[in-house]
Amino acid sequence: MTYIPTTARTGPRAGVAAADVTPMDVAARGPLLLLLGSGIVWLVLSGVLGLITSIQLHSPHFLANCSFLTYGRAEAMRETAFVYGWAANAGLALAIWILGRLGGNPLRGLNWLFGGAAAWNTAVFVGVIGIAIGDLTSFSLFQMPRYAQPFMVVAYGAIAIAGILAWMGRRTDGTYAAQWYALAALFLFPWLSTIGQYVLLWAPSRGVVQNVAADWYAQGVWTLWLAPLGLAAAYYVIPKITGKVLANYDAAPLGFWALIFVGAWTGGRHLIGGPVPAWIVTVAVVASVVLLVHYLIVFLNLRSAWGVPSTALGFIRFGVVAYLLGGAIDAVTAFRSVALETQFTLFDVALQQLALYGGLSMMFFGAIYFMVPRLTGTGWASSGLAVAHRFLVTIGVIVLVVTLAVAGWSEGADLLNAQTPFADIVDHAKLPLLIHSGAQFVLLLGNLLLLANFLQTIRTSVVADVIALNPIGTSEVSAT
Amino acid sequence: MKNGPLLFLGLFAALSISWGAIVLGTHAQIGALTPYYDDTEGASFPKRGSGLAAQGEREYIALGCVACHTQQVRRPGFGVDDLRGWGDRQSVARDYIFQFRPQLGSLRLGPDLANFGDRKPNPPDADELYKLLYAGTPAHPSYRFLFDRRRVVGERSLVALNLTNELAPGRGYEVVPSSKAESLVAYLLSLKNGYTYPEAQPAAAPAPEKKAGASSEKAAPAATKAPATEPSPETEKSNPRGKRPEQAVPAAAPDENKKQTK
Repeated sequence: MTYIPTTARTGPRAGVAAADVTPMDVAARGPLLLLLGSGIVWLVLSGVLGLITSIQLHSPHFLANCSFLTYGRAEAMRETAFVYGWAANAGLALAIWILGRLGGNPLRGLNWLFGGAAAWNTAVFVGVIGIAIGDLTSFSLFQMPRYAQPFMVVAYGAIAIAGILAWMGRRTDGTYAAQWYALAALFLFPWLSTIGQYVLLWAPSRGVVQNVAADWYAQGVWTLWLAPLGLAAAYYVIPKITGKVLANYDAAPLGFWALIFVGAWTGGRHLIGGPVPAWIVTVAVVASVVLLVHYLIVFLNLRSAWGVPSTALGFIRFGVVAYLLGGAIDAVTAFRSVALETQFTLFDVALQQLALYGGLSMMFFGAIYFMVPRLTGTGWASSGLAVAHRFLVTIGVIVLVVTLAVAGWSEGADLLNAQTPFADIVDHAKLPLLIHSGAQFVLLLGNLLLLANFLQTIRTSVVADVIALNPIGTSEVSAT
Repeated sequence: MKNGPLLFLGLFAALSISWGAIVLGTHAQIGALTPYYDDTEGASFPKRGSGLAAQGEREYIALGCVACHTQQVRRPGFGVDDLRGWGDRQSVARDYIFQFRPQLGSLRLGPDLANFGDRKPNPPDADELYKLLYAGTPAHPSYRFLFDRRRVVGERSLVALNLTNELAPGRGYEVVPSSKAESLVAYLLSLKNGYTYPEAQPAAAPAPEKKAGASSEKAAPAATKAPATEPSPETEKSNPRGKRPEQAVPAAAPDENKKQTK
């Protein structure tokens, strides 16, 4: 395989050293950028929905007469677009790219990847429309209707083939933490999803067994699928940029297995005081504390990210802090005496946003800023947009999480006072919820900048390709 | 970790064990719960809802009501659900066995609805609910798409809403609930957990007090109020520990029954 165009294209404006773009990247460019691009589009869509639901939180009558956008449906759509649209697409693109690079061979199964990406996004789109017309399942992180979900497993399988082939055909004997996490995510989601669909949609269990299963699934989506995707990105990008081996790398396997084995057991903390067997809650409380081992090791490993100036690392540092903070607060709120206050309030939502936006998405952003120039062979179209994106998203996430936590705390205190009517509870939290809408707007704005920058970069890369392939037409193309 | 198959097996084992324990374990424990037959009542509980209520349950799910309303009452002494009039006892798994998809929920932006049909101090009626759904309140959205505004032909419909002032539909018009609204309201009114199952009896009295004493400062008021609402003296007498629940329940049931028929 020749890759002259790549080297030819890395002109003076490119942000990447020519040697850093490998044939693996060139071959996989199309399908991976498709995944990534659809992910960013979903992120913007979920931002629009997030803005709507955040307004509905303090002004319940906003768009209330539109049956497609009741708070319940809009929130389900936002969550689905965010997790299955943005996080899944971007995470898969990163995981497969990382497996390919660390495997040392060009990616294979790219037609499967392309078809799978198209099918996955179609399924998510059908699922979101299904939620809008009222076919939502009502289970958190599992809202898509029954007619969309089976296709997602098939599409996911098709996408994952490329990653599995890259792992099977790896050249090196040893493996890296980034590979374990990426591979775990590729394998575990289809199993999780199949089980979840079976016990919740196709052969529903009786009564609250469904809720226990749904909780186990939702926790699995985070600890067995999304968190590994984010960590794979962080474990790969940090040593690449710093050029150093991760600190305390020997402990990484323990951190990995702690997450994989203990993570799924922590879901029951959301059922404290609920109509379920008490052991589920007790086990979850214990597991939440045991899981601190994982967070400790991640901290020890990823503290290597500090000390080197870089946009990509800046995102990842933020992501690591948010991830660790989220894990620690999860363990604290798992205790019954704390849960008494925080359970059923927006504080739980704040924690979820801290994990999904502050932790996962920020790690993804960092890795995307690292990956895209290597895939396209050109630097990012605008460093100004990248800086603005980082600024807006950082501010947005912090304000988002803090306002939700403050609103949740005030709500929790009010709920425990039997004399406070609900109209007052909403009223007391009005100020933080208004600011929360502002944060959603800032995040939407930031992510629009990312989308614009991404599309501009692709365009530059395509134009450069055309120039490289058609030397005759150079003048016309560059004139445009 | 050079061994690929071992990594694969580890992943498989991790998922299988947690699934086996949590999902299958719960299923084995409470997956085959049957209604509880009470000899004195000559009836079994929970009661199956009407067909209309079952339709309303689907509507409740479809609208996403669960995003703001839980349907799980916490036990007296753990939170103030009882003082808010949401239910005198903790919700138990048996309450949900006839539900198509239990709407436990995880966020309380609105009141808990597990026992909504028996809400204290005054249970809701259909007119009140229609009006709430149509007009909303400062804390609740108005869902007018659940209603039809139509011209009055002949006599005014019996189910038309009595709306006044700015809500009035205009001369010659009336607002009637759609079939969706009717089933939704029937469902909401059918949400009653009046019957106290043996497993829903409060545990031995010291337990909640010790719990509340150990918990945070904010829980303290709840703890001081809790003993007043706990029916401990009678319950202790009628349901002594170690006695078979089948024998114990009838003694506690008649008083619960009164609440239910109210």
